[in-house]
Amino acid sequence: MIHGEKIPDSEMRKDLVELNGIWKSFNGVAVLRGVNLDLKSGEIHALLGGNGSGKSTLMKILSGIYRKNAGTIRISGEECNFLNPSQAHESGIYLVPQEPKIFPNLSIEENIIIGTSYTLGSKTEEIKKMGQQLGFSESLSRPAGILSIAGQQLLEILRGLLRNVKILILDEPTSTLTFREVESLFKQLRNLKNQGIGVFFISHRINEILEIADRVSVLRDGNFVLDKPVAQLNETTLINAMLPDDRISKKIEETSQKKIAEGLAPLLKIRNLTGEAFNGISFSVMPGEIVGLAGVVGAGRTELAEGIVGIDKNVTGEVIIGNESFSQRSPGRSRKKGIVYVPEDRAAHGIFLDLQNLYTTSSSILSEMGKLFISNKKERQLGEYFIKKLGIKTNGPKQISRTLSGGNQQKIVISRAMACNPKVIILDEPTRGVDAEAREDVYDIIKSLIDLDVGILLISSDLEEVIRLSDRILVMYRGEIIEELSKDESTIERVTSGAFGVAG
Amino acid sequence: MNNFKDLYKKREFAVFSLLVLLVVAVGIVNPVFLKVDTLNGVLDNSLILVLIALGEMFVLLTSGIDVSLGAITGLSAVVAGLSLNAGISYPVSIIYALGAALAAGMFNGFGVTVLEVPPIIMTLGTMGALRGLMYIITGGSWIDTIPIGFKSMSGITFLGISVFAWIVIALAVFLTVLVKKVRAARIFYYIGDNEEGAFFMGVSVKKGLFVAYSLAGLFAGLAGIVFVSRIGFIPMQTGSGQELRAIAACVLGGVSLSGGVGIPLSALVGGLFLTTIDSVLVFLKVPAFWNDAIAGAILIIVVLLDFRVRMLINEREKQERLKYVKRDRQKTGVLQ
Amino acid sequence: MKIKGEIFKRWEFIIFLLLLLEILVFGFFNSSFLNIKNILYSTTDFAHISLVALPLTLVIITGGIDISIASIMGLTSIVIGSTWSLGAPIQVAVSLGLLSGIAAGTFNGFLVAYTDIQPLVITLGTMFLYSGIATGIAGSLGASGYNGIGDFPEGFLSFAYGSIGFIPSSMIYIILFALFLGFILHRHWLGRSIYLIGVNVNTALYNGIKVKLVIVLTYTLTGLGSAIAGILLTSYFTSARSDLGSEALLPALTAVVLGGTNILGGSGTIIGTFIAAIFLGILKQGLMALGVTNNVSQVVIGLVLIVAVAAKLFFTKLKMNSGNSKIQTE
Repeated sequence: MIHGEKIPDSEMRKDLVELNGIWKSFNGVAVLRGVNLDLKSGEIHALLGGNGSGKSTLMKILSGIYRKNAGTIRISGEECNFLNPSQAHESGIYLVPQEPKIFPNLSIEENIIIGTSYTLGSKTEEIKKMGQQLGFSESLSRPAGILSIAGQQLLEILRGLLRNVKILILDEPTSTLTFREVESLFKQLRNLKNQGIGVFFISHRINEILEIADRVSVLRDGNFVLDKPVAQLNETTLINAMLPDDRISKKIEETSQKKIAEGLAPLLKIRNLTGEAFNGISFSVMPGEIVGLAGVVGAGRTELAEGIVGIDKNVTGEVIIGNESFSQRSPGRSRKKGIVYVPEDRAAHGIFLDLQNLYTTSSSILSEMGKLFISNKKERQLGEYFIKKLGIKTNGPKQISRTLSGGNQQKIVISRAMACNPKVIILDEPTRGVDAEAREDVYDIIKSLIDLDVGILLISSDLEEVIRLSDRILVMYRGEIIEELSKDESTIERVTSGAFGVAG
Repeated sequence: MNNFKDLYKKREFAVFSLLVLLVVAVGIVNPVFLKVDTLNGVLDNSLILVLIALGEMFVLLTSGIDVSLGAITGLSAVVAGLSLNAGISYPVSIIYALGAALAAGMFNGFGVTVLEVPPIIMTLGTMGALRGLMYIITGGSWIDTIPIGFKSMSGITFLGISVFAWIVIALAVFLTVLVKKVRAARIFYYIGDNEEGAFFMGVSVKKGLFVAYSLAGLFAGLAGIVFVSRIGFIPMQTGSGQELRAIAACVLGGVSLSGGVGIPLSALVGGLFLTTIDSVLVFLKVPAFWNDAIAGAILIIVVLLDFRVRMLINEREKQERLKYVKRDRQKTGVLQ
Repeated sequence: MKIKGEIFKRWEFIIFLLLLLEILVFGFFNSSFLNIKNILYSTTDFAHISLVALPLTLVIITGGIDISIASIMGLTSIVIGSTWSLGAPIQVAVSLGLLSGIAAGTFNGFLVAYTDIQPLVITLGTMFLYSGIATGIAGSLGASGYNGIGDFPEGFLSFAYGSIGFIPSSMIYIILFALFLGFILHRHWLGRSIYLIGVNVNTALYNGIKVKLVIVLTYTLTGLGSAIAGILLTSYFTSARSDLGSEALLPALTAVVLGGTNILGGSGTIIGTFIAAIFLGILKQGLMALGVTNNVSQVVIGLVLIVAVAAKLFFTKLKMNSGNSKIQTE
């Protein structure tokens, strides 16, 4: 609004980025409530916060992907208002997304210059030099599809550098990398920093943040609650900053009240299960028990669940149901054995959005819907039964699922799992993208399931939710269970510490 | 291992080597095949298919498909034939024919980009419509009075090879250089390889698609003119089914139907390969009516081999990565 | 209550109205067109198209495509002709023809389901392969000419020319096949799985649907439909030829798409394809009765295809937009 305003020279000039009073809401829900943030040149500024705290939203506003509702953005002292990513690129801002946008069949060089006005070959030497500085050794003429995720991220960084980036934003760059790759990435970040580039670094891993960052800001409920140089911080101070202020006074409501009978055999036993994203996992689930699987995004929980039900077949170790080892697993065979999985990504894996509600509900038990033909009546009754039982707000079983709200879609997905009459349900982020009212309904559903002695493996990034519901919590970090907490031991501090890689 | 992966992607070279091998092998069985005249004949016979395949390639690069190219070839041939018979000069007749073909291609492009009709439906509709149009403008009768002068153009040779063949080969080489070196010509690859990414990077996807379908029409038009000159008469089924042979040629030459992969030389090599198969059987004393069966079998075997190799590479990469992850875990443990 | 109103908004209903309109228009020019018997017989020429379009609907709903259908017709025809001419009883010859069609379809399905190669590439290859085998066999028997293999017994010829009352036998095959496929698609778990795969193949996998088996079966059924069409054509032309039905691909795909099936998969009905096939058959006959040649009617069919799909897309977009404004995204 005050375009071209003179900025006092002294210290402001060093500020690459200055965000003031940024507001952003989606559907009337405020995600950012007037946040302030700055970045100096040659600084690595880490952003930390729980799920949905608004870090990514803030960075997307800065890089022109989202539009802010209120507040000012200054880049090198000048007020900016980005309408799209290219405008942000022109101002020297480049966001490296979690999943790099590459053209797999085109050469690496072409991937880097795409969208600029440079011709192929005109910038080869420059890119080579920048690549060398970054430790990027791959030949530029090879197709980008051969690159590992780490390589693809470096490619994205090179895209930024070629556009003379001054501000680099990395959104959880390490979540899919191996240790070796993380080390090399960090080396490159330090290099960039020495060239005067400012870096925003979003991560869920506290030890990595302490290793690489100069300054850390913690975002909670749409506001920054901490902004300090890393020298003044340690694991405990960071964990504490992420926790709600009222954590001591607020007693987490007990939902699970069922007493688990002594001497029962476990429904499901996992022994030394190992896959690409998880390692040596062992645990068991008892009848009527809720086992929470806590951790941050990328800890390997979804991959573990997919390994258990046989969606991912490249898994070693044992899944034992009753007393029988269950090998050659597939979703269909798992259902027959009594294990069903409610997936994390509802739209992609859980629901048939363009079909009637009851088509999702009955999809796993079509063979039980009639002898030769699907009985209309039987199927409709099934749909109506669950609509009533789960309190699904819909015109009826024949409504197209796409027109339902997120919470009601989630209930449809759960109805599919319940229709299988399972012994164990694996719920993966059952309340993500679900409104508050439906969330309570989902909790009630879970309660009704354990009353029926169904065992539940609950995967959630909402740590409060895990603690509130679970009888026992397994905390996963980088593919391994690093802590097992009983109901009494499960405090939000301990679970958070574990989830962020700080063993208690 | 990575180099192997790169090499295998250059399928046009693999198929070209196979083609040379085939020619040599047939030559050993029947030396007559290696005569210059025979090989020249194969080359000349392939020109129409290669031209259509060149056009098809642009559309396939964008991960689209055009099944109307055979019909456009027919339309172009009919327009050229009628113009020539009406006494219009050769160059103007050619321009009329190419203009009609270009207009048909642009109509496809309009349907795909503006009406957003899926490419296969759009071009299928155009194919039917153009085939009918051919009958309407000719009244359903063959055109068989092409001026001798026009026909003799196909007989002109340079260094023992027909000028048409030189032109087609030069065109394939020129286009290969063009799509490799000129930024504006890369747009087809961007669209086919990652349409969303292309949009995100500021590439105008619709413009690229429109140009691709228009070019495809233009090349089919060229094929029509070669047809008129080489064959000398224009039956109603001119170009019929050629679009599918052109797609087969492209696929054989290494163009991927999922887009973003292939070069104009792929179309040349694939078209030559299919035509050679048609010719060699005679020299191997196998009746010619087995041509299509063998072409189909080879196409299936090539894509299946391609699939197997890709699977093997993926599997190996997965194992490799797993090894890294395991080594990392052993070295460092979960917590640093 | 609400469902009843829905019927009138359905694409199948619109096509049905277009069909009635079409009959009225043609009847206006030529009153013999209003005779039910004539209407029924006018579709005989189009019977083989309907027989392949119906199962092709299932393939397209799963998100696939099969362009080898015409080749399978020719293959079936030649298998019947060659085994008959080699002395096999006609029943055996027809059974072998039917089996070869089913096998050809299953082979397509197997390659589609167990590789990641696009169905179009696979059926393009098998299109050449099957028609090549057919011409190869025909050529080996010295029957590659226009006359093909003939001299079939009376009983076999009545397959195409028979009738029950005033209903021609080809119409009866179409209706029976449509009923069979209709029950499969709309009432059987196989058909439901077809929709589920077409709408979201990943969710289908996660929910334990046997995706590969279902895909193979859709191509098998298409092979079966092509084989029946091949038998019918052989009987109709009283000779077995490798190029029978070679022009079937365009009209068959047109019937499927005009019938409301989304070429990208996920939606479509048997009744829609059925009505659209009759619509196209009558369109061809009607235009011919008006003195428009077969070839010119191709122009009409091609344009009908483009306009229908463009219009349908336009209306779905309108619907989606009004729907989206109610559901907040993001």
